[in-house]
Amino acid sequence: MTSMAQDLHPAPVLEPGRTILELRGLEKKYPGTHALKPVTLAFKAAEIHAIVGENGAGKSTLIKLLTGVMPRTSGDVVWEGKPAALATPHEAMALGINAVHQEVVLCRHLTVAANMFLGEENSRFGILQQRAMVKEAQKIIDDLGFDLPAHVTLGDLTIGQQQLIAAARATVRGTKFLIFDEPTAYLTRKEADQLFKLIRRLKGEGVTIIYISHRMEEVFELADRVSVLRDGTLVGTRNIAETNDAELVKLMINRSIEQIYHKEHFTPGAAIIEAKNLSGKGFENISMTVRAGEIVGLYGLIGAGRSEFVTTLYGRHRKSAGQVQWEGKDVQINSEHDAIKLGMALAPESRRDQGLCLNLPVGFNLNLPIYKRISSNLLISGTQEKTQADRQIADLRIKTPTRNALASSLSGGNQQKIVIGKWLAHGAKLFIFDEPTVGVDVGTKAEIYRLFSALLSKGAGIILISSYLPEVYELADTLHVFRRGKLVATHGFRTADHEEILTQALAEKQEKLGGKI
Amino acid sequence: MSTEAIPAEKPKRNYNALFGLTLLALLVLLWVILSLSTSSFASANNISNLLRQGSMIAILAVGQTFVIITGGIDLSVGAVVGFATVIAAMLINAGIPVFLAILITLLVGVAIGLFHGFGIVKMGLPPFIITLATLTSLRGIGLLMTNGNSISINNDAFQEFSRNSFLGVPNLFWMVILVGIPAYVFLHHSRWGRYLFSVGSNAEASRLSGVNVQRTIYMAYTLSGLCAAFVGVLLASRIGIGNPTQAEGWELQAIASSVIGGTSLFGAVGSVHGPLLGAFILATINNGANLLNVNAFWQRIITGVLIIVIVYFDGLRRRGGK
Repeated sequence: MTSMAQDLHPAPVLEPGRTILELRGLEKKYPGTHALKPVTLAFKAAEIHAIVGENGAGKSTLIKLLTGVMPRTSGDVVWEGKPAALATPHEAMALGINAVHQEVVLCRHLTVAANMFLGEENSRFGILQQRAMVKEAQKIIDDLGFDLPAHVTLGDLTIGQQQLIAAARATVRGTKFLIFDEPTAYLTRKEADQLFKLIRRLKGEGVTIIYISHRMEEVFELADRVSVLRDGTLVGTRNIAETNDAELVKLMINRSIEQIYHKEHFTPGAAIIEAKNLSGKGFENISMTVRAGEIVGLYGLIGAGRSEFVTTLYGRHRKSAGQVQWEGKDVQINSEHDAIKLGMALAPESRRDQGLCLNLPVGFNLNLPIYKRISSNLLISGTQEKTQADRQIADLRIKTPTRNALASSLSGGNQQKIVIGKWLAHGAKLFIFDEPTVGVDVGTKAEIYRLFSALLSKGAGIILISSYLPEVYELADTLHVFRRGKLVATHGFRTADHEEILTQALAEKQEKLGGKI
Repeated sequence: MSTEAIPAEKPKRNYNALFGLTLLALLVLLWVILSLSTSSFASANNISNLLRQGSMIAILAVGQTFVIITGGIDLSVGAVVGFATVIAAMLINAGIPVFLAILITLLVGVAIGLFHGFGIVKMGLPPFIITLATLTSLRGIGLLMTNGNSISINNDAFQEFSRNSFLGVPNLFWMVILVGIPAYVFLHHSRWGRYLFSVGSNAEASRLSGVNVQRTIYMAYTLSGLCAAFVGVLLASRIGIGNPTQAEGWELQAIASSVIGGTSLFGAVGSVHGPLLGAFILATINNGANLLNVNAFWQRIITGVLIIVIVYFDGLRRRGGK
C-alpha cells in the first residue's frame, strides 16, 4: 500500500441521498428461532442511520448478515444496484462494508501502527517499512484529532482509546459502509465526542454509517434516521427530526422512560466500609464511607482512578497509604479472598475478561462464589447446586434454556446478570459494581437497577462506578467525582446539575486524553 | 440473543456422556475386530497384557488431565516416572521397608509438582517451560545418581506385585481403578474440581469470585507429579530396575490419551473417564498392531493419524453444538 493517506478519504461513489444498500426481505432463522423476520430497508449514501432495540431484538444478527459473518436464510441484498451474496467477511470488506465492534477485536500485543495496517502492511522487498507505517499511522490519528501516539503497544491504551483506534482503522480501508456496534460503551464523554467528530467527518466524505447504540441521546445527537427492531421485527424507521425519545423507547419496549431509573430511598444505616486517606497505584488520598442502604456513585473519566480505587479496596492491589475500616474496625485486606470473607463482592468492568467463565455453564458461574457453602467437607451437594442455580436464574430472570447452557451462548445483558447475580446468594454486605450496564439494553438496565433496590432493602451498601452520568446521577445517594486519581467533589442525590459534575470531572480543557497515571 | 439458543441447546446436555460412550464404543469395536481377525487377541493372557500396558499411561493421563483443564501442560511426567524408578530402586535396595520406600517416592513426586507450581505461580514461568526444564534436568539428575547404570531391584515381593492378578484382573489395572475413582469424585463432585475448571476458563474471574487460583494451580501440578511418581513405582515393580531413561516419551502418550478422551488443550474441558478410555484405545492399537504383525514404525503413524481424526471429530461435535 503506497498511498495510505489517500485511502483515508475514499471518494463517494454515489451522491448523498441515493440508495447504497438495500435489504429486501432479509431474513435469518436459527433452528427453532426466527432471529430476524423479513426486513426491507434502504440505506442512503452518506447517511447516519441509527438502529436501536433491546438485546436480542436482532441487531447483532443484522450486523452479522451485513458483514458476511453468517449466511442469510432468505431475502436479497442489493449493493449499489447489484445483488450481493455477502457470503464471507472478505466479500463484505471488498465491497467496502466494515464494522467496528463493541469489544475491540485487535491485537493487543502489537503497536497502534501495526494494528492500523494489519493485513495491509507497507513493505519494500518483503521488509516491513516500520518507521513509515508509524509515521503514516500517526498522521491519520492526528488528522482525526485523536491525541494518541502511534508507536505504543495497543494493550497499553485504555479500552476507550483502543476503540478510537479501531474506528480509525476502519476508515483507512476504502470503507463506504461502516457499522458501529455500541462504540461508546467504554468511552468517556470526551472520547465519545472525538468519535462523533470522526463519524460526522466520514459522513461528509460520503460514507454511510450504521450506528447501533443503547443511548438515546447519542442517537439524537448523531443520526439522520433511526430504525427500531423489536423481537426480530423492524417495527419502524423514522427521520430523527420527526421523532422523540418517548416514541422510540415505546417502539422498543412498550415501557416509559420513567420506569427505567428505579430509585427507592432508604434511611442509611451504620457505616459498612470507610476508607481514610487511602492511596495506591492510580489514586491518592481518597476518603469515603459507604453505609447500609445507600448507593455511593463514583463518576469520572475512564482512567480517573475509580477502578483502581475499588480494586485496591477489594484487595487486588496493595494500598500505599491510608486505612480501611470495616464495620468500625480497622482491617487489612490483602487479597480478594480477605475481601470476600469480610462480605464484599465485586462485579468487574470487563465481563469477558474478568467477570465470567464463558465456556462453562451458567449454573457453574452462578455458583462459583458459593461452592464452599454448598459442599459438605469436599463433596458438592448436587441437589443444592441445582436448586441454587435454578433459583438464581428465576430470581434474576436470566434468559437461558437451562442452567447447563454455556455462559457464552447468552446475550450481553443476561451475561451481566450472571456477573451481578452470582453475588446475591453469597450474601455480601458491600457490592461494588464497575460499569454494570455497559452494553446492556434498557429493559435489562431497569432490571439491574431494581436489583440494586432489592440489595439495599436487605441492608447492603453499593459502590456504583459509571461513566454514564445519567445513571450515577439518578441512582447515587452520594456522588463522588474523580479526576486524575483524586476525589475532587462530592454531591448528594441530585444536588448538582449535569453540567457542574461534567466540568468537575473534566476540569482544565487542555487535559491530555487519558494520559496514563 | 438468548432465545436463539433454546432449541440448539437441548442435545448439548448429554454430550459429555455421549462422547464417553462413543469412545467406549470405539474401544469395544476395536476389540471385536481384533478378536475376529486374530486368534490370540481374545486370550486371557493377551487381555491381561493389554490391561497392564494401558494402565500406566492411563494413570499418567489422569494427572495430566487435571493440569490441562487448568489451561496448563505437564511435559515432565515421563521424566518423573523414570526418576521415580531410580528413587524406589535405591530406597528398596538400601533395605528400607517397601511401603516406606513407596511413600517417599510418592512424596518426591509431590515435591516435583510443588516445584512446578512454584515456577508458574511465583516465578511467572509458562507451564510449558518449567515442566520442559524439569523433563531434561530430572533425567540428568537420575543419570548422575545412578552413574548411568540401571539398578536392579532385589526384592521379589515388590516385583511380584505387578505380575499378579486379583480376581482375575491384573493388579496394575486395579491401580487404575484405585486412582480413577477418587480422581472422578475429586474432579466432578468436589469444589476443588470445580475450581480447576474455573481457573482454566478464566483465572481472573475466578480470583475475583474468591477462588484461590494459586493454590488451585499448585494442586493440579502436585496431583500430576503424584500420579507420575506412582506410575514410576509401578514401572519399577514391573521391570524390576531403576533407570532414569525409562518412560521416554510417555508424557506425549499421556497428553495424547487425554486429548483423545475429550480434554481441550485450551482448558476448562475434560473428564476422568475420557483419558482412561483414551489410554486403553492407544494401548489396544499398539497391542493389535503387534498381533497383526504391523511394522512398529507404522504403529506410530497410525497413532498420529488416530489423534488427528478423533480430535477433529470431537471439535466438529463441539462446534455443531453451538
